[in-house]
Amino acid sequence: MNDTEFDGHLQELRRGTIVLASLMLLRTPGYGYGLLEQLASAGFPTDANTLYPLLRRLEKQGCLESEWNTDEARPRKFYRTSDVGLRLATILTQEVAAIAAATAALTERED
Amino acid sequence: MTDTNAYADRYLEAVSRALPAASRAEIVAELEASLAEQVEPRIAQGESRDEAERHVVSEFGEPIAYASSLIDRPMWLVGPRYYAAWLRLLRLLLIIVPICAVGATLLGQLIARASVGEIFGGVIAVLIGVIVHVCFWTTLVFFILERTGSTGDTILDWDPDRLPKAAEIRSGRPDLIASLVFLAIVVGAMLWDLLLGFFPTGGTPIPILNPVPVTWAVLLLFVVAEAVFAIVLYLRRRWSTALAVANTVLAAAFAAASLALLISGALVNPALIDFIAEAGGEGFAQGQLASAGQGGVFGILGVILGFCLVGFPIWDVVDGWLKLHRLRSAAPRA
Repeated sequence: MNDTEFDGHLQELRRGTIVLASLMLLRTPGYGYGLLEQLASAGFPTDANTLYPLLRRLEKQGCLESEWNTDEARPRKFYRTSDVGLRLATILTQEVAAIAAATAALTERED
Repeated sequence: MTDTNAYADRYLEAVSRALPAASRAEIVAELEASLAEQVEPRIAQGESRDEAERHVVSEFGEPIAYASSLIDRPMWLVGPRYYAAWLRLLRLLLIIVPICAVGATLLGQLIARASVGEIFGGVIAVLIGVIVHVCFWTTLVFFILERTGSTGDTILDWDPDRLPKAAEIRSGRPDLIASLVFLAIVVGAMLWDLLLGFFPTGGTPIPILNPVPVTWAVLLLFVVAEAVFAIVLYLRRRWSTALAVANTVLAAAFAAASLALLISGALVNPALIDFIAEAGGEGFAQGQLASAGQGGVFGILGVILGFCLVGFPIWDVVDGWLKLHRLRSAAPRA
């Protein structure tokens, strides 16, 4: 992370994992700002201008359900992972695990 | 929020303008909530509203870019899906179209008996215009394809059969046969023209080609030279610099000699010209008068013929060098 030369590669690698992390975290309903903080503390630092478009896309694809909460002074949009989203999260989790295992195997072979 | 100069409101307005009307209200409401929930914690931590809004807005980034990411609109003119097809088509058109346009302009200016300066100026102007148009319209078509999300197959889709053939660069028997047959047809046509004539004259045939020894000698000399060249090329199997140079010299000599014959009036049979003028009668005379500025009907035909006499050798020369170039670029594997 301290090597700016590799920032592009790191960003590319992380992009897909943010989808997974968001789907997992939103199993309990949450809204944008809260999710940003949760992601950061869970080890998935994300920019606001990345997260909001992502939430919108996932909602369009039916992976997230949303609801406006008007109880407070300011309306907030709450998101919750749908059944489709849960299935996607399961597949993505398996895939990440498979990639981690494959990467580990590569490292071992070199030793 | 009453301050119309607030960063958040201005940002909202700027993003809103970049959104399609259909989803604008919904997205703006969402964005307003997103901005607010980012701004408020900052104010709670002691930043001024102005400061906080400025900070948040700068994190969201350029309004058009952010609007594009919200609606999945591409941020490029021609993206990776069409780039290769776009480049291939553009390259092809940038070869074909300028050559045709410049050729047509040149011919038109020559017929109009324009001065060298006028011809040069006209050709340059057309060349620049054509290049700009080809680049612009080609790119516009791909821009529209990209935006309309076209996914259908186009004629530009690639398949392995489109790979340039390596065999083309070798000069084989088919090339030799084609050259010799073409030359035989030329000689046949010359003899037919002399003995039987191409035009029904109702009496003795009037050949198109001037039946004087000079014209025939020059043309036959080039027929023989071309035949020798074709045979040498076949024996050598492939183009070389020496062959390309020989081909260029031959073509240039042919263009110069045939043009000299044409200009001195030795190429086309004067008897034929008289015959056509006579047979054409009143109407033909009027046409002659109308086109007097361009040297009359035969003047125009002469220019077109001369244009071809120079144009084909140029094409022949370019073809030779191109084949050599292709051979060179493929050489490491050969």
